[in-house]
Amino acid sequence: MDLTLGPEETAVRDAIRGVLAERLPLARVRAVASAEPGIDEALWREAGGLGWFGLGLPEDAGGAGYGAAEEMLLFVELGRGLTPGQWLGTVLGAHALAGTPALAPLLAGELRVALIDDPSDALGDGARLAGVARGVADAGAAGGFLVLGGGAARYLPATTHGLAVEGRPSIDPTRRLGDVRFSGIAASPLASDTATLRTLATLLAAAEAVGVAERALEDSVEYAKVRQQFGRPIGSFQAVKHRCADMAVRAEVARSLTTFAAVALAEGEETAPRHVAAAKVLATDAALANAADNVQNHGGMGFTWEADAHLYLKRAWLLEHALGTRTAHLDALAVPWRAA
Amino acid sequence: MHLRFSPGEEAFRAEARAWLEANLPRAPRPTELAARAAYDQAWQRRMYDSGWAGIAWPRAHGGRGATLMEQLVWCEEYARAGAPDISTLFVGLNHAGPTLVACGTEEQKAAHLAPILRGEVIWCQGFSEPNAGSDLASLQTRAVVEGDVLVVSGQKVWTSFAHVAQFQELLVRTDPEAPRHRGITWVICPMDAPGIEIRPITTLTGESDFCEVFYDHVKIPLRNVVGRLNDGWRVAMATLSFERGTAFLAEQVRLSRRVDELVALAQTTPGPRGRRRAIDDDEIARRLARARAEVDALRAMTYRSVSLAARTGVPGAEASMIRLFFSELLQRIDLLAMDMQGAPAVDAPASRWTELYLAGLSQTIGGGTKDIQRNIIGERVLGLPR
Repeated sequence: MDLTLGPEETAVRDAIRGVLAERLPLARVRAVASAEPGIDEALWREAGGLGWFGLGLPEDAGGAGYGAAEEMLLFVELGRGLTPGQWLGTVLGAHALAGTPALAPLLAGELRVALIDDPSDALGDGARLAGVARGVADAGAAGGFLVLGGGAARYLPATTHGLAVEGRPSIDPTRRLGDVRFSGIAASPLASDTATLRTLATLLAAAEAVGVAERALEDSVEYAKVRQQFGRPIGSFQAVKHRCADMAVRAEVARSLTTFAAVALAEGEETAPRHVAAAKVLATDAALANAADNVQNHGGMGFTWEADAHLYLKRAWLLEHALGTRTAHLDALAVPWRAA
Repeated sequence: MHLRFSPGEEAFRAEARAWLEANLPRAPRPTELAARAAYDQAWQRRMYDSGWAGIAWPRAHGGRGATLMEQLVWCEEYARAGAPDISTLFVGLNHAGPTLVACGTEEQKAAHLAPILRGEVIWCQGFSEPNAGSDLASLQTRAVVEGDVLVVSGQKVWTSFAHVAQFQELLVRTDPEAPRHRGITWVICPMDAPGIEIRPITTLTGESDFCEVFYDHVKIPLRNVVGRLNDGWRVAMATLSFERGTAFLAEQVRLSRRVDELVALAQTTPGPRGRRRAIDDDEIARRLARARAEVDALRAMTYRSVSLAARTGVPGAEASMIRLFFSELLQRIDLLAMDMQGAPAVDAPASRWTELYLAGLSQTIGGGTKDIQRNIIGERVLGLPR
């Protein structure tokens, strides 16, 4: 048993962190998000070249031959950087579209896929999709849509006749939302198992929340060391120090359980879906609470649009509503107990 | 990263599991203190005779010399089997013993280590004082060197099992002029020395496991000093860092079992308003699900911490985060059990769940309060200024 990063895992993590820090620091994230199309297309192509979208695919399928653990590392970094884009749908698409013509452009960074999570088959469970999927992350700049239903996954290019995307204002300035309308579109199911895809997607959303929780903690600690009041750094006051300690514990809880869940999933452990659901709950807890505490720790500055603190909080709320809320996951965890 | 244990570790697990199944004490642990101590000592002796005592102790000192991974496996199996928490021997096995291994003279090791391992002696801790709790370094119990003895006068408090112990790990002030961390000495105190008076303290649970200890010109041989004179702070810190490392592994697995028991309780007891089972109540079900998630997280944190220590050879600062999370999680789970019981929660004698809830209040006080733990995390993990 070893839950620390090995040399290769460290190299993967460092490489991703290095590219994101250089190409898309937070100041640039704001600029990218406020201009069309809301994502950094050059970075996207570069990520394709670096093999980020196929991290978890076997080498003979055009991937890097890693697994869920490395994909988790990628999403922690994306969360840390509040990186805009359809990362979740595209990485999931790499698994779902294996063996189809869409895979090659996706892996190359030429096709961005947005994820539509439809566990209750509100858009239909048969061969036709009808209705509106609301609040789809970065729907506007997507080249295709992966519709993850309760029993089947389907893929539709954005140019499909009868499919329309309408922008929808988002609370999160760094992640756009859209409504996607399907007017009775024929769509054939993909071969991939939806439960497996949904578990992976939930893990990656949890990982993104871990990144948000960690960055909020780091920003608070950095600020508490330099901001002076009453002639001393505010981090020397127990009221602030203890709040930071609680943030550190939450981040450690979230990082540990998400790591455990990722490795369990990669190893095909039967209990992996339970751990993934638990990780999504605690990572979202950590992201929301740390981001709110980070606003508090920055005082008046934390309440401004100019400071970054609100960006972490808003991303955390979007993540709460992606791939199942905390309440939904807790209820699902209790289902076997109620049946007994 | 991987979750698999090596074939050697799995073989060790199978061996531990089989031995525990065959040898677990059949009788329940008694409540009366002297009987409880005798029970703990008999069980420790049984483990010793089969080579399971002192799992973490070096082989040279009679221990098993197990790797960190094997210690983790043993703690998991020990708690899984429902083996007893031998609290009367805790200080000897987890504090005094390891301290002597690290800092004791050959004579001290020869005299004390084997009896501790065999469960023949009970040790207690003499650190806290009425005016030195969280601020341990302000301790005032005075010791003066007279010839080849230390003469000790003063008072200790919160000393668990002092009235059944033979020895005490005692911190005394030997140089009142020195900076406060530099005038302290760690000494082995025989509890039958003339001048020692022990008064049990009744706790809020109604039990009297811990005591005040008074010292009136108590003579302790200088050869009982562990480490050098006035170097006791360093010796004590080695002990405390050990406590914050692996000593709580089995307790964590026990907490996980407690959640399983609470789920079973929720399936058989009525819910808050009596109409349905507790598990059919959404609030209780979600609190249980969250407790399960958090217990899983605790294991994941421990696995990460043990992996890190196995790689670097030293327990990391994250142990203080595990300690804080564990103690507060335990209290959340105990509180859930109180809420689930309904009105019988306030019946006397207290139910097991109420007893656990009351006893659990000490978890965020003993061994460093939760406030001190947060200071440690803030200063040593995050690097915030003092």
